[in-house]
Amino acid sequence: MDSRLKPFIDKALSRRTFLAGAGSVAAVGLMAGCSNDGTTTGGGGGGGTGAYTDLDILNFALNLEYLEAQFYLYAATGKGLTAANTAAPTGYTGSYTMGTVTVGNSAMVAGTTSTQQQIINEIAAEEQEHVQFLRAALGSAAVPMPSIDLSFFGPLALALTPAVASFNPYASFDAFLIGAFIFEDVGVTAYAGAAPLISATGVASGYLNYAAGILAVEAYHAAYIRTALTGRAISMGATTPTSAAYPYVGIANQVEALRASLTVGNSGAPGTSNTGNTGAVGSSGSVEVPLNVPQSPTTASAIVACDSAHAIGFARNVNQVHHIVYGSATVGVKSGGFFPNGTNSIFSTTTA
Amino acid sequence: MANLETQVLDEIIVKGRRKLLTLGSAALAGLVLGGTKEAKAATAYTDADILNFALNLEYLEANYYYIAAFGCTIDTPNAAAIAAGAPTGGIPISSSTFVGTPGGPVSMTGANMVNFTGQTAIGAYATETAIEEGKHVLFLQGALSSAAVAQPLINLTTAWQMLGGALTPAAPTFSPYSSYAAFLLGAYVFEDVGVTAYHGAASLLTVSGNLSAAAGILGVEAYHAGLVRTTISTSTDPNITGTVSTAVSISNLRAALSKAGLLGSTTVPINDTNPDDLGPSPVAVTLAGMTGYTSSKIVNCDATNAIAFARNTTQVLNIVTGGGAVNGTTAVSPAKGIFYTNGMNAGPNGFK
Repeated sequence: MDSRLKPFIDKALSRRTFLAGAGSVAAVGLMAGCSNDGTTTGGGGGGGTGAYTDLDILNFALNLEYLEAQFYLYAATGKGLTAANTAAPTGYTGSYTMGTVTVGNSAMVAGTTSTQQQIINEIAAEEQEHVQFLRAALGSAAVPMPSIDLSFFGPLALALTPAVASFNPYASFDAFLIGAFIFEDVGVTAYAGAAPLISATGVASGYLNYAAGILAVEAYHAAYIRTALTGRAISMGATTPTSAAYPYVGIANQVEALRASLTVGNSGAPGTSNTGNTGAVGSSGSVEVPLNVPQSPTTASAIVACDSAHAIGFARNVNQVHHIVYGSATVGVKSGGFFPNGTNSIFSTTTA
Repeated sequence: MANLETQVLDEIIVKGRRKLLTLGSAALAGLVLGGTKEAKAATAYTDADILNFALNLEYLEANYYYIAAFGCTIDTPNAAAIAAGAPTGGIPISSSTFVGTPGGPVSMTGANMVNFTGQTAIGAYATETAIEEGKHVLFLQGALSSAAVAQPLINLTTAWQMLGGALTPAAPTFSPYSSYAAFLLGAYVFEDVGVTAYHGAASLLTVSGNLSAAAGILGVEAYHAGLVRTTISTSTDPNITGTVSTAVSISNLRAALSKAGLLGSTTVPINDTNPDDLGPSPVAVTLAGMTGYTSSKIVNCDATNAIAFARNTTQVLNIVTGGGAVNGTTAVSPAKGIFYTNGMNAGPNGFK
């Protein structure tokens, strides 16, 4: 068994009280702690009770964007971020240790139509721009790219129930959609969770505008992926998510179930009474909305991941996002999954 | 922090692409003057004013989708709508506690219901979106409680021909109810605008819970927009591929109206070569340092940083009233025209 699977075996998923970060946040080595801008104490929907700054929030996002950009750039071109997009920023103080990318099967996605290739190119271009933009906004405070393991898709697929063996997101367009599906809804929730954490000073500096603007772009991407999966299932004659005619909707829903089991602690749609994540997809507190395969025009599709009562998008806090990208529900984990050496973030250690 | 702020400003100004809007632009001006404190000082608006502005937009969107999907307005109980998740008693559009002049039910005929026969996916999308926009109306009414405004007089019939007539080339007979392809264009008119409106409003909100909710709805609007643009951009149905050029002209019209809504301000650079609205036409991109790639344009975001656009309330009003918010470089209040025959129902000091 792949050692990276071990975290999935941990079934000790206790559903915990609000949040996250807690004391361990402050104890973690501060890769990005060089800012005194808008220091805030954690609050609702946030990342814990430890102190963090607006720059910590942006750097948290930058870690995710490094990952997404690498995944999509390989899918589009067979190559990753350029040296210029990962080099130490001007004025960076301290030791700049850039991570490495474990490429695995990464290559241009096979067998795409020109329209499909243009979609992959678009998402790659936009995620690449997010890396560039956040690095520019952070300036000398931008953290290095952490080590990224793009071969983690295989172990992750084996952790699905039922397991999907030999999964390679670059093998076909449909496999690519599943690979992208792992990230996009999470990106939306991560920005939705992060935006309210930005301080008043940060709002005046435009940081909230950045976060909200990138949130929207991630939601456009997520909509694309979910629309493509739903539309392809319908057009290929699938009658259920698991139809042999197009099984990928079912696999996407398995991904949701796995993410739900990893979204430790409370979450939900902000501003509503939906404040608890029970972990199970389809339960009242879940932040996952399984795709369906409508058989009639009067049946609602499930493109949008939002709460059923108010149609408000979900949020995850920084800890929950880390649990997902590490592929671990375990508390106290500092690395794993897509980030074999952890993220370069003060939030890098998972908490309850 | 001045250094970081300066860097960020340089990024914005030099690249000349970001449209920070509303408070964003006010904050920008504040920074240029050397301070950040005055960013919100000039604004006398409350969170309720902002949420009511959003409610006016949601009344419009929800009614459009209800008419198209169910052949009824949102206040009318309808079996198909209820089966898809609508409240059994319909959605209230006025009450003894609602503020403003009730405009009554939206005028329509049963013939406005779109024929989605044989178009399961698009019909399912319409059904889903109708239900979700209706829930946004309900959510905002609930959040605003006795401060909520009644539904204003909304035109969803002849307004479409007025809008079509303003396009280049003009389409004075346009009706979004005439076919499933035309329905997509009607949806296209609204969804990107919803994204920019919530994005622009986010920075204006002062209560954290309201910001969280706005970020959540922003995400949902972006999912909707992504759904519509994906369907228009990737379909091989000639009826739909034929709508791409019209979608581009809709974006062009919105960009022109948005630019006029800046009332001559050049703080945020929007011009004909740098619009704040991009249609679904493929563009050239550089990926991983290599030129020569073609990207779709599902995401309506700036070409440099991949940040979704934001608009202030005057810009949004000028779009949804077809230019009714602006006379030269002067704001007109109440703004009226096209969809809002008598203007929006604002709160006591709200946006109109």
